[in-house]
Amino acid sequence: MERRGFLKLAATGSMLGFLGMKSGILNASEPNASSAKNDLVAVMGGEPEAMYEKAISAMGGMSRFVKKGQNVVVKPNIGWNKKPEEAANTNPLLVAAIVRDCLKVGASEVVVFDHTCDEWMSCYKNSGIESAAKSAGARIAFGHDEKYYKPVNITEGVRLKEAKIHEEILNCDVWINVPVLKNHGGAKMTISMKNFMGIVWDRRYWHANDLQQCIADCSTISKMPVLNIVDAYRIMTQNGPVGKGPEDVQLAKALFMSTDIVAVDTAALKFFNQFRQMNLSDVGHIGIGEKMKIGTTNLDKLQVARIKM
Amino acid sequence: MYKTLKWTRVTLSLLIFVLVTLNFLYFSNGWSNVFPQILKLQFVPSLLGLFTGSALFFLILTVLTLLFGRVYCSTLCPAGTFQDIVSRTAFIFKSKKARRYKYSSGHGILRYSILAVVMLPLIGGITLPLALLDPYSSWGRVSSQIIGKTEQLINNILSSYFPETIFVRSYFHFALAAFLLATLFLIALIVFSALRGRLYCNTICPVGSILGGISKYAVFKPAINENCNQCMLCVTKCKSQCIDIKNKKIDISRCVACLDCMQGCKKGAISYEFSYKSKKPENVTDQQGRRRALIALGLLGGAIAARAAKIGPLASSKSEKKAIAPPGAQSIENLKAHCTTCHACISACPNSIIKPATLEYGLEGLMMPVLDYKNQFCAYECNKCSQVCPNGALIPLKIEEKKLSQIGKAKFTLRDCIVYKDGTDCGACDEHCPTNAITMIPYRDTGLYIPKLDRDVCIGCGACEYICPAEPVKAMIVYGNETHSVAKEAPKEEKQDIKVDEFGF
Repeated sequence: MERRGFLKLAATGSMLGFLGMKSGILNASEPNASSAKNDLVAVMGGEPEAMYEKAISAMGGMSRFVKKGQNVVVKPNIGWNKKPEEAANTNPLLVAAIVRDCLKVGASEVVVFDHTCDEWMSCYKNSGIESAAKSAGARIAFGHDEKYYKPVNITEGVRLKEAKIHEEILNCDVWINVPVLKNHGGAKMTISMKNFMGIVWDRRYWHANDLQQCIADCSTISKMPVLNIVDAYRIMTQNGPVGKGPEDVQLAKALFMSTDIVAVDTAALKFFNQFRQMNLSDVGHIGIGEKMKIGTTNLDKLQVARIKM
Repeated sequence: MYKTLKWTRVTLSLLIFVLVTLNFLYFSNGWSNVFPQILKLQFVPSLLGLFTGSALFFLILTVLTLLFGRVYCSTLCPAGTFQDIVSRTAFIFKSKKARRYKYSSGHGILRYSILAVVMLPLIGGITLPLALLDPYSSWGRVSSQIIGKTEQLINNILSSYFPETIFVRSYFHFALAAFLLATLFLIALIVFSALRGRLYCNTICPVGSILGGISKYAVFKPAINENCNQCMLCVTKCKSQCIDIKNKKIDISRCVACLDCMQGCKKGAISYEFSYKSKKPENVTDQQGRRRALIALGLLGGAIAARAAKIGPLASSKSEKKAIAPPGAQSIENLKAHCTTCHACISACPNSIIKPATLEYGLEGLMMPVLDYKNQFCAYECNKCSQVCPNGALIPLKIEEKKLSQIGKAKFTLRDCIVYKDGTDCGACDEHCPTNAITMIPYRDTGLYIPKLDRDVCIGCGACEYICPAEPVKAMIVYGNETHSVAKEAPKEEKQDIKVDEFGF
């Protein structure tokens, strides 16, 4: 396994070097087609796929984040055995659109997985994500057993100094974080930073060792997502993260996208506040994230595109 | 004709053997909801489920026996078929001479003593002795604890060669007592059948003894007619060793209706005959046989009557507070009265949280299914265990019923809670609670939230206990309900659509 991993790494490494060079040359010769390279994009009023299309082009296109031949992981929230309309998991249409786009810009493989809370097969199936991602061309990876997770040191972590992270995240070239916007009984909110709980094995440790700090700590890992895409098509405004009924879900029809994980969570939270009040200071991990220089909560500093459909 | 019948019997028995066994394997037990129904056509499950929905199956099996004798033993019983497979296989290693069976007069006293040891406690409401010797339940445990575990090992070896297509099955729950008993049963079956054909069925098996008693009164029985030239061919083929050719008698209580003698006889001298056409004078041995048949029937009738009158259990141990019976069990009492520990529910649980009890229910509940939330919890949208039980120990629950079936209640201990102890956010229990029995409420003026538990809404699924990170003692622990009840639904709120036109930043 060790040897195989090494060989794989060496092979992809050299391949990447080659491709990197090549694409560099290509990019230089190309006219600057996607001039819009915003730091943060917010879209509202459309269907998941349409909002994604608008947002990604305002970010400069997927080719800015995924290069030809790369192995990509798309990490949605598939935590619960719930249907798409219950808004406990990321919207499957959005996941499929991202997978297709990655493949379109030349990704050699796109992998989708989550470390689910409910029984994993029901989650994969009933969330609609497994079938949507598969038909979009992705491979579904397993995440239900400790053997799929490998220990990683988190040098900048305050409370979370080591975590077992899913091998797909560790082995991929780039990954894209695709959470759904929800209220959360423990963490107050679950957005992009909290979505990292699905790439680690031992969630209990986080809960037992200052949850908010651990969430922020995990966002200091070296293998950060190249892009965070927050699904706010349907949002869970109360009784999250599972919800008990339709009264907990609002059709918000929005989407947020940024490379800055703290900024995108801040933006999503501000949007959420129009539905239900939730103080930024109470969602501890976002503020800690800024203090730890993971990103900024000051959206005025960023180039933000707001698109209404 | 008997040739066709015999091969039909062989084909059917192999088919049923495979189907029953597949019910206990992970890759096949979820194939269809109809699939587990086949387990109901087993004698002990139909007897124990007589008053809980299996009356029809009991009737079918009884009528079948009253018509043609122990067809169950030769065709339907998985352990019976397994023994035939073993004896057939053993033939390969035996000389021609050693393959021939000889007549034996049987072990009557031992046989009926064992039957009494099994049936008298059953009349008193205790199923354990029956559970230990019933061929179906024992085969279930072999399938679940030995074949099923082997399946899991093979699966997990394969999963390291094909990591992207075959997933690891976690939680290898090794139950020592159940495994040892299953192994013991398997070895006994192999030894008995390799050496002496159906010796187990005709000495130890309580079902064999009961059905033997019923078949004494069968309408059609194998009989030897005047064409017989005493060539002994039938005797050498009889795996029950019950053809006494000298006296031209067949011990019907031991005959498993395998048809091997009829198919083998070159003279057509042995065949099924209508047994009520003329009154033949009974001889002494027949009277002894009749007496024993009456004992068997008496014990069976006693057990049925006791169940109808809901007598017992005469002795019952107190269950541990932590003992949680699977959904559909209704009560621990009901579980104990009906379960013969075939482990169909244990094999069916997709989360592998059902394990064979050691002493959680007391001694008489040994190996019965008990929930364990160490590695997983009871999935909210799952009712599989209740659907597969052939005994009526678990009554089938619809998903909607299951979601409100309160099998236990969580208990919240504040001083063990992370929010109280460490003053940090946690909420893992609330996150996992599927019923909203747990809600997070503001905790003093800290900006923190702490769980509040509504025990009436709790169904005891164990999600909170499973995920609670508190050490050394969890703050949420589920205690079983002796009698399952219906949980209250969490209060519904009015849905308000909120319209938002701005981004908010």
